[in-house]
Amino acid sequence: MLSIRVNGEERQVPTPERNLLSYLRFDLGLTGTKYGCGEGLCGACTILLDGQPLRACMTTAGSAAGGSLTTIEGLASDATLHPVQQAFVDESAMQCGYCIPGFIMTAVGLLSREAQPNTSQIREALAENMCRCGTYQRIQQAVERAAGVQRNDAHERHDSHN
Amino acid sequence: MSDTTATTEDGLRIVGEVAQGFPPPPKSYARAAYSNAKPDTQSATWLIVRPDGRVSAYAGKVEYGQGIRSGLAMEVADELRVRLDAVDVLLGDTDHTPWDMGTFGSQSTARVGLQLRRAAATAREALVELAADKLDLPTGELECRNGRVISRADPARSVAYGDLVAGKAITRDVQEDVALTPRDEFTVMGRPAPRVDAVDRVTGKAQYSQDIMLPGMLFAQPLRPPARKARLVDADTKVAEQLPGVVQIVREGDRIAVLAETDEQAEFAAKAVQAQWREEDGQPTNWDVPDLLRRTAGEPVITQESGDTAEGFRQADAVLESLYYLPYISNAPMEPRAAVAQWEDGRLTVWAGTQRPFGLRAELAGHFEIEESSVRVIAPEIGGGFGSKSIYPVALEAARLAKAAGRPVRVAYTRAEEMVFATFRPAALIEVKSGFLDDGTLVAWEFTAYHAGERPFIGQRGSQTPYHLANVKVSVSSSESPLREGSYRSLGGAVNHFARESHMDEIAAAVGIDPVELRLRNLTEPRFRRVLEAAADRFGWSGAKPPSQRGVGVAIGLDVGSYVAACVEVQVHGSEVTVERVATALDCGLVVNPEGAKNQMEGSIVMGMGTALYEAIDFQSGRLLNAGFTRYRVPRSNNAPKIDVELVGDPDTPSTGAGEPGIVPVAPAIANAVFDLTGDRVRELPIQRHLRG
Repeated sequence: MLSIRVNGEERQVPTPERNLLSYLRFDLGLTGTKYGCGEGLCGACTILLDGQPLRACMTTAGSAAGGSLTTIEGLASDATLHPVQQAFVDESAMQCGYCIPGFIMTAVGLLSREAQPNTSQIREALAENMCRCGTYQRIQQAVERAAGVQRNDAHERHDSHN
Repeated sequence: MSDTTATTEDGLRIVGEVAQGFPPPPKSYARAAYSNAKPDTQSATWLIVRPDGRVSAYAGKVEYGQGIRSGLAMEVADELRVRLDAVDVLLGDTDHTPWDMGTFGSQSTARVGLQLRRAAATAREALVELAADKLDLPTGELECRNGRVISRADPARSVAYGDLVAGKAITRDVQEDVALTPRDEFTVMGRPAPRVDAVDRVTGKAQYSQDIMLPGMLFAQPLRPPARKARLVDADTKVAEQLPGVVQIVREGDRIAVLAETDEQAEFAAKAVQAQWREEDGQPTNWDVPDLLRRTAGEPVITQESGDTAEGFRQADAVLESLYYLPYISNAPMEPRAAVAQWEDGRLTVWAGTQRPFGLRAELAGHFEIEESSVRVIAPEIGGGFGSKSIYPVALEAARLAKAAGRPVRVAYTRAEEMVFATFRPAALIEVKSGFLDDGTLVAWEFTAYHAGERPFIGQRGSQTPYHLANVKVSVSSSESPLREGSYRSLGGAVNHFARESHMDEIAAAVGIDPVELRLRNLTEPRFRRVLEAAADRFGWSGAKPPSQRGVGVAIGLDVGSYVAACVEVQVHGSEVTVERVATALDCGLVVNPEGAKNQMEGSIVMGMGTALYEAIDFQSGRLLNAGFTRYRVPRSNNAPKIDVELVGDPDTPSTGAGEPGIVPVAPAIANAVFDLTGDRVRELPIQRHLRG
């Protein structure tokens, strides 16, 4: 039987054609990964496969077999939040919070590719995900904080058109 | 203590008659909408101080993004002098929280917060009395600090709250006239604080309706009609019944649902049901709506009238008439509705992310003809709703199917189902005719609005002009709605504001006066002037006659008693409009949770930006043509503006809402900025469809 590593634990994949998001949520009970659109457009189901972001809703459990998956549940180590998680808390970067696990996984993936992203790289990477509560400014600030980026002041463009 | 009675649980319990403590608002859209709902008059627990020193607060409200759990925890912590993390807030569970009409109308902080403060202050006084006995000191020499009652004269003499209530079960009634902590003694309220539920949200522990799973639970996939007003003629379920995992196919009249062991098995089998539908011919398309609104308009309701507009137009140096149109839009919360239902010994439990757990309990009890006490509705975390989750059809579907199956059943909308079967912010057509003097002084104002749908409170909200003039007539009609209309952030408030505030800019352009100056000339209300001046100042607004080709726009608004103004700056490339930055000021009176209020304002601006630039529901022959994010565009992070929020409310003014007002000036400010940049006045939303590229 195929198997897959999920948050460091070896899990069996009895039905390879099973949708990966359904497998994680309903078979493994890892409901932190969310369903938002089922079309790979909203990013709520973003997980990491071998460290890189993947839309769980768009693939099967079998196609991820042999790989190592990280879901939002596997990000913190013991009682310590991952720096990206901590930054979201510190920036109050959330409202309803439904999209937040997906955003965090996208951000973790970005920071693993690009340790010092600039603001525009962050905005483009995060554009893969949707937050209908509209907390984008806070999410961007959280990722900047996690990346150690110097914060853009809210007034920086203040005088540009006077 | 003569007012104590024994209960089974140790601790100090503060109870109150719900109807007395939390009457429904005497005059609001909510009362009109849910006028059949009667408040329970039973005694309910609002607060418990437990032997371990922790405090539990109870409210029938739900958390759907507005941060109410944090706001209420802050109010209790401050009033009871305990750390914020010592307070647990339990929300939206009909077995355990006080009756509540529903979470809408930005009433949460204003009403329930005040009640919880009273309960906490009552508890504080009771704890002082208990400590007076224990320490043998007069109550006047004691004060509460950090979870302890302490002697003022000798701080070494103190006792922890938990020790005062350990081994006792004390109940006190909420004192309606209890002395609340004065504002200058707040140590928690009014200060930025991280959300009490933040860690659960970043670790995936927060549980939403979509996440509820019970042992033995079946996944349901109801058969959905292909179009609105389609009737099931015939259905053959033989193939579907044989498919793997299918446990049962439930047919009740027109309704068919597949119940299976997994979600995918249910979806697959539902596709295998051979169904024939009869669709109603001649259903309108989105293109028909403007005409339909005028043609089917009901009796107009006058929402504001003074003086004589005909006389006003005679006095005017100029008269301007414009027509505005706003299409149907979708709330499109990130979490599609889902519900799980379970029957145990005739008692029904439903997990449903509804804004109205108590209203849903009544509906379910009515449907199954059982007592309300035999139904428990639990509202878990709610993944957004923006007004629409007052209506929650999957809950009844799950309850019906669970009853038929004798097992727990989950019904969850797909994204497309969520968009098709949810409600929409209704379309509206608005005629504005204004008369004004050459210096921009308004002398006559006629505002005639046609809002789709049978809920007149939606279209009436925010229809009145806040500008000071003698001759005003504002009327709102309800028209036929080809789609199911419902609540949205600020209801029709943002819709009416779009027409009014766009028109004010047209006047500014007509007389050649800076739009901020034009508004100030016509505003007398100090709270309005203050938010406008604050937003303009924050933005760095410098006066100019529009169109100034700088791409700046302004609008003001009033919603749920809160005053708001926004200034925006845009860039336009072809038909793509980019909102670069927004400065906004809000006066919602006393701010309990400034981080929460600012977060809500930021969200309102992004949402308003979507309505201004991208969003419109297209439909034809009863089918939604853009029921998904491929064709229904909403703002993403690379579209999001830099937002600067200033809270300017007077802390001595009672709190009003912060969740909705932020949206009302956004669309007109953006349209005004587009005009300022391009000279192109867009009177129909979304702007990007109607901009001459």
